[in-house]
Amino acid sequence: MPAPLDAVMDLLSGALRGGSPVAEDAALASRCAELVAGNDRLSPADQVDLYRQQFWSRHLEALTDDFPGLAFVLGEGAFEAFCRAYLEAHPPASFTLRDLGLDAVRFAEGYSGFPEGREGLARDMVRYEIALVEAFDGAEPPPLDPEKVQAMPEEGWSTARIVLHPLLLRLRLGYPVHEIRSGLKHGRLGSPDADRDPAPAGPSMPAPRPVHLAVFRKDLVVRYEELAPVADALLEALGRGVPLVPACEAVAAGLEEAAAASLTGRIRVWFAQWTSWGLIIDIER
Amino acid sequence: MSNSDPGIRERNALNRVDQGTRERGVPTSVDPTRLGLPDLGVGVGLRIQHYPHIFEAHPTVDWFEIISENFMSPGGRPLANLDRILDRYRVVQHGVSLSIGSTDPLDFEYLRRLKELVRKAGSPWVSDHLCWTGARGVNLHDLLPLPYTEEAVRHVATRARIAQDFLEVRLVLENVSSYLTYTTSEMTEWAFLSAVVEEADCGVLLDLNNIYVSSFNHGFDPEAYVDFVPASRIVQYHLAGHTHHGDYIIDTHSDHVIDPVWALYRRACERTGPVSTLVEWDADIPPFETLLAEAEKARAIRDEVARARAA
Repeated sequence: MPAPLDAVMDLLSGALRGGSPVAEDAALASRCAELVAGNDRLSPADQVDLYRQQFWSRHLEALTDDFPGLAFVLGEGAFEAFCRAYLEAHPPASFTLRDLGLDAVRFAEGYSGFPEGREGLARDMVRYEIALVEAFDGAEPPPLDPEKVQAMPEEGWSTARIVLHPLLLRLRLGYPVHEIRSGLKHGRLGSPDADRDPAPAGPSMPAPRPVHLAVFRKDLVVRYEELAPVADALLEALGRGVPLVPACEAVAAGLEEAAAASLTGRIRVWFAQWTSWGLIIDIER
Repeated sequence: MSNSDPGIRERNALNRVDQGTRERGVPTSVDPTRLGLPDLGVGVGLRIQHYPHIFEAHPTVDWFEIISENFMSPGGRPLANLDRILDRYRVVQHGVSLSIGSTDPLDFEYLRRLKELVRKAGSPWVSDHLCWTGARGVNLHDLLPLPYTEEAVRHVATRARIAQDFLEVRLVLENVSSYLTYTTSEMTEWAFLSAVVEEADCGVLLDLNNIYVSSFNHGFDPEAYVDFVPASRIVQYHLAGHTHHGDYIIDTHSDHVIDPVWALYRRACERTGPVSTLVEWDADIPPFETLLAEAEKARAIRDEVARARAA
């Protein structure tokens, strides 16, 4: 491996990810001067710093594109602080900026810099916004063949496995973060880039409540639907490969008598919805 | 109720074509000009902001250049949009993440996905930049210059040959705009570019704006650059605008092509004759008509030079 090329790449890979101007670090500026020529207008440190500034602006912009809801929840300053901490902990590794935020859920779990009182909301928003990214450009499997349903004998349903769409993501959240994203998209909440820090409390920030959310893609559009908790539990069991009838029985076992009695009818409605949303792609006997 | 969130980012960029003329693979018998690759005319970079106009009005464009990485996904809207473009237009792939100069191993998973896209898009060549974009497993997502040394020539040329063989289509390398030079450089940038493409048997995507930007930033003669690069290897030209900051110029693709760059383009065309030309505009993106008007300026220069060469 060519040593001088290695020296250049070692130096710049580190310098470009620095959080402050290269010239402010005398030792780094000195190392830059050994390898970078500079000119009569810009010192070697100044030249490297042009690339450093671009590193941060490019990646902060990409994260802002992916996390407008988080930017709104945190406000400009706290959002940038989160992004900078994230990029330091998880330097970009993929060839595509599409993957830039994929470690953000894990990072947010341990991040201690969220504004007080916004921690849960922020972490839920990260989970939701990453789900949107993941659903956006995944592979599309063939749709369910209706003949498979029609050809299924009555007794076959007790052992049939329902194959769900691989891009279906189920989220159990403590806040209705999808309502914030929807509000931003439709201009109801103002710009996520508004100069405020942190975002105002009040009507813009919804109160916590349990949310069961399905994020998926239908006809190239990323969608979300709020699920009844029992429907979510049933989808979860089906996703684990539990056959249809045992999955329904397991869900019913946790319900009170009246709710269990009405479950069959509700399941029919849910299956009609899930089929229309394209969530069921196959039935395996 | 329909709950959708189509606001997800799709980052980022064809004359009706005779599908039968699409070429694949590296030709075994090389035409002395453009390495035997076709002159596609004057195209523009494909950008999301222009999709509505393109899909509704079907404007006449010689060809579109796409940013490969924006379509190297398994599915979804990006590929669906590309399918609609391919129904009507010719597409050439231009990448930003090959990192041909890096000392990290070549990323064959990246190359595999790139090749998959070549098969889908029918791109007659694949271009990327003579630079490095990351090392030690970190992708800086920038087009960083290399030291212009014999060692770097051998290193890059070896990798370019491997990548080109793998892709089974001509690899075309573009000169980048740069904001720094290295103390270890042993030759000019144009000598370095020429040596790499000769040793690797690659094509050149000559970006006239990048030459202008770097000539200002580093104080060299841009005409000497244009005059030196092996004309027979120039497969494509890039034209774009930039942002002047006084002490330095940044290649922002955010404005019209300036007159000195048009002059460099004319000078280059006088050496090569008609070569596929592409106008890029990536920031402060104007209406499609503005982009087309810029492409027509390029066409007028090309045609004028061609007539003068024929006379």
